[in-house]
Amino acid sequence: MIRTSTQNDLIRYIYQETDTEENIEIQTAAILNGSLAHELHELEQTVKSITAAERVPSESTIDKILSYSKSYDLHSLK
Amino acid sequence: MRKYEVSDSQLISLYKNGNEDAFAELVSRHKNKIFTTIYMIVKDHSLAEDLLQETYVKVVNTVKSGRYNEEGKFLPWVSRIAHNLAIDHFRKAKRYPTIVMEDGSNVFNSLEFSEESIEDRQIKEDTHALLRELIKELPDSQREVLMMRHYMQMSFQEIAEVTDVSINTALGRMRYALINLRKKMDKTNVAYDKNIYPE
Repeated sequence: MIRTSTQNDLIRYIYQETDTEENIEIQTAAILNGSLAHELHELEQTVKSITAAERVPSESTIDKILSYSKSYDLHSLK
Repeated sequence: MRKYEVSDSQLISLYKNGNEDAFAELVSRHKNKIFTTIYMIVKDHSLAEDLLQETYVKVVNTVKSGRYNEEGKFLPWVSRIAHNLAIDHFRKAKRYPTIVMEDGSNVFNSLEFSEESIEDRQIKEDTHALLRELIKELPDSQREVLMMRHYMQMSFQEIAEVTDVSINTALGRMRYALINLRKKMDKTNVAYDKNIYPE
């Protein structure tokens, strides 16, 4: 049985909100505890899936944004 | 989760001093997360493109006029602008977000998959579209935390404060969001295909 506090720490670890000491503790615990290692892997894979499912704006939209920035001084002088 | 050699804060400083390349890097770095934040609300690719532009017009105006003061928290700040613009759109149009299926009409909007076949791209986009639908099906409290942490890059402490719960509750909701999403993915056969989700 994995403690809830440890499970919440895994979430903080995945989203890089743990400090160096906590990182070492979690990595060590995952080596010693198969269930914890499995849960960590599952959570990490799910987060990767969410990241991979992000949508991508068109290049033309990005170009318009960058052009607006470059010509800002011209807009503001009008 | 990626860490960058040059922080957002450093890029903003460079941009304030007129370095347009720094701004291009900031836009490139966060465009997908901000665009997805908008898209998950308006569910219309073309409208999301317009709102992304509006978002960055506000960013440029704020930074170039010297009014930007949220150093080190660029992405949450831009995400809030994007989120508010998307919500405002619905208020103005007197419409509210509903769960609808995506029509897939703009599935080939990325230039990053040039080496893939059309079929591969279609399978990948279908899988991603399904996953976004599964996120929408999560309970409100779980989806809210997931959106705030994953797309808007707010810390769990900030989420706890905004949603008026303890940090452990926010963490628990995120954990259950990920576990529920995993279960839904298993049920709908959204597998851990390493071609789709590279290690």
